[in-house]
Amino acid sequence: MSGKEEELRREVTVWGSYMWGFADVGADVFVAMGLVFAAAQGATPLVFAIAGGIYILIGLAYTELASAYPVAGGGQYFSARGLGDIWGLVAGSALLLDYTIDIALFATGSAGYLNFFLPYLFGVGIDRFAMDIGPFKGVNPLWCGETLLIIAVLTWLNVKGIRESSRVNEIIGVVVIASEVLLILLGFAMAWHPSLFVQQWKHEFPSAKDFMYGSSIAIISFVGLESISQAAQETRRPATIIPRTSIALIFTVFLFAVSIALLSLGILPWKQIAARVDSPLAVIAEAVPYIGPFAAPLIAFLGTIMLFMSANSGIMSASRLTYSMSKFRLISKWFDAVHPTYRTPMRSILVFSGIGALQTVLAFLSRNAMDVLANLYAFGASLGYLLVFISLFALRIKDPYTPRPYKVPLNLSIKRRDGIRVEIPVLGILGIIGVGSIIFEVVLTHEIGRIAGPIWVLGWILYYTWFRKRNGLPAFSSLDHRWEEHQMEILESAEEYDLLEQYRIALAERDEMLEKRGVKSL
Amino acid sequence: MSAEAHWNALGLAIGIIFCISLGAIFLWMFMVPKQIPLAAARARRSVDAIKRILVPTVGMPYSERGVELACRLGEKQKAEIILTYVIEVPRTLPLGASMPKEEEKAREALSRARAIVELHNLPAFERIERAREAWEGILRTARDNDVDLIVMGISPNDGRSEALKRTANEVIRRSKWEVILDKPASRTP
Repeated sequence: MSGKEEELRREVTVWGSYMWGFADVGADVFVAMGLVFAAAQGATPLVFAIAGGIYILIGLAYTELASAYPVAGGGQYFSARGLGDIWGLVAGSALLLDYTIDIALFATGSAGYLNFFLPYLFGVGIDRFAMDIGPFKGVNPLWCGETLLIIAVLTWLNVKGIRESSRVNEIIGVVVIASEVLLILLGFAMAWHPSLFVQQWKHEFPSAKDFMYGSSIAIISFVGLESISQAAQETRRPATIIPRTSIALIFTVFLFAVSIALLSLGILPWKQIAARVDSPLAVIAEAVPYIGPFAAPLIAFLGTIMLFMSANSGIMSASRLTYSMSKFRLISKWFDAVHPTYRTPMRSILVFSGIGALQTVLAFLSRNAMDVLANLYAFGASLGYLLVFISLFALRIKDPYTPRPYKVPLNLSIKRRDGIRVEIPVLGILGIIGVGSIIFEVVLTHEIGRIAGPIWVLGWILYYTWFRKRNGLPAFSSLDHRWEEHQMEILESAEEYDLLEQYRIALAERDEMLEKRGVKSL
Repeated sequence: MSAEAHWNALGLAIGIIFCISLGAIFLWMFMVPKQIPLAAARARRSVDAIKRILVPTVGMPYSERGVELACRLGEKQKAEIILTYVIEVPRTLPLGASMPKEEEKAREALSRARAIVELHNLPAFERIERAREAWEGILRTARDNDVDLIVMGISPNDGRSEALKRTANEVIRRSKWEVILDKPASRTP
C-alpha cells in the first residue's frame, strides 16, 4: 500500500455519494413493488415496513464501517480486516456475484422498459422478436442485443472516469426523485381513498407463507447500500460525508417504499397492481388524476433511467471491489492497474462488465432472463451482508482504536481479556438473526441461487488458493496488511485530520499501556 | 382517460408529511460539518489526550478556582483529577513528624476541592504529600501518578506570598509536564 501507487481520485460529492446508493436501491423498489403486492396483498405496506426494518439494521452497520474505514472494497474490506483474508475473499466473491448480476439484471430491465415504446414507434412489441435457436426456446436476440449495448455504454462511461459517471447519476437522480415526489403528493391528495385502504388491509391479508415470501422479496428490493461504501475511496472527506449520505439514503428509500405501498393500496385493488409486475408504478400513476394519461410512458421512461443508473452502480462497484481485492492480494495484481490518464481501474471495469455481459447472454438462453438473474441476486446479497454483520462485531473487539464517526446505537460495554473496554452492538445481533433468516429462506426457495451461488463462491476460493500458492503466499492464513499504517494513510489522504489525530492518540495510549505491561505488541 | 380527482384532507396531510420528512432528511444530509485543518486538529486532539490532571491546592479561593478550571479542561474526555496538598515540613523536623494542625488543614482543603470535582462527575483522587519545598512534592506527585497536565491556581496578589510565587516558578522551571498557571485578576485595593 505504498503512497506512490496510483490512488483513485476523490471526486464524489455529498449528492454524488447519495446517488451512488440511490441508483441501486431506488431501482430495486421500482422493480419489486408488483412482486411484493402479488405475495403480500393487503399487507404490502406492513411487509415493506418490516423488510425496511432489517434494511435499516444493515444500513446502520454499513454506515459505521464505511465511515470508519473509508476505502474501496466495502463488505470485502470489512471482512478481510475483521475476519481474515479468506473471509474477505468469500465476502468479495458474494458481492461480486451481486454486482455482476446488478449489471446484467438492471441493464436487462432498463432495455425492457425502453421496449415499452416499441409499439408506439414501430407498431410491434418486443415479443415479436422472440425465436427458437436450436435447443433454446423463446430467445429474444433484440432485447439481448439492447442489453449488451447498454452495458457497453456504461463501461465506456466508467473507464472514462468517475466525474462523468457520477455526473450522470447526479442529474438523473434529481429528475427521478422529483417525479416520484410529485406522484406521491398528487396521488395522496387527489386519488387516495382511506376506505379502500382499510378494506384491503382488513379483508385481503395474506397467509403466513405469502407474508413471509413477500417479506423476502421486499428485503431484496432494498439491496444497494453497499454502493456508497464502494465509492468511499473516491468520496471527498468520506468519514464525514458517508454517515450523512448513508443515513439519508436508508431513511429516504424507506420513506419512498412505504409511502408508495400505502398510496397504492388506497388507490387500486392490489390484484390490479399485482397483474402488472413488469410496470407496477405505471398502473398506480395511471390512477392519479391529471397526470394519468401520461403516466404509463412517463413511468416507462423513469424505469429505463432508474435501471440504467442501477446497472451503472453495478459496474462502478464491481470494478472498485476488485481493485480493493487485488490490493490485498486476494486476487491478481493485474486488476490493480489504474488508467494513466483517467485514473480509473480500467482492467477491473472491463473484466467484470464482460462477466455481466456473459451472464446476460446465458440468462437470455432461458425463457425468463430476469427471473434467472434475480434468483442469483438474493444469494450474493444475503451472504455478503451476513459477513458484514460478523465483521462489525469482530472489528469492535479487535480494533476499538479506529475512530468511528458513527456508531450503531445500543451497545453493551464489555472488557477484553487485556482489560480494554469494547462495545458490542445489540442491534447487530438482531441484524444477524434477520439476515440469517433470509439466507435460510433463499436456500429453501431459490432453486438456481442455492446451486449456482455456492458454485460461484467455491470457484473463487479455488482460484484464490491457486493464486496464493503460485505467488508463494499462505492460502488459509492472512498476510500482514499493516492495517494501522494503512488506516493513517487513508485518513490523511481523505483529509480527515481530526480523526487522524484521534487515531494516533488512541494508538499511543495503547502502546503506552502495553509497554507498562511489558508486552511488545498486540 | 384521466381518473376523477378525489380530494381528501387525510391524503393531503400524508403527502405533506412525506414531503416535509424527505426535505428534512436532505437538509440534514447537506449540512456537512466544516473541515478542520491539520494544525487545528492536532491542537484540538492534543487537549483531548489529557487524561490525568494534577491540581495542587492550598485551600485558598484561587486554588479552588484552579480545581474548577482543571475540571472544565478534563470534562470532555472524563479526565482523572488528582488533588494534592503538600505539607511543607521545616528542615528542623523529620519529614514524618506529626503536624496535626497542618494535616487537618490539608484534609479540609482536599475535601472542598473534591466537592468541586464531584460536581463535574469526574473521578477524583486525593494525595497529602510531605516535602521540604512545595514544588518538590508537586513534581513528585506528578511523576508518581504519570499525569499529563498540572493546573495551579496562584494568588492574584503578587506581594502577598513569596513562597507561593517561588513554588510556581520552580514548578514551571523544573516540570517536564505541561503546566497551566491561573492567576486571577487582582481585586481593587
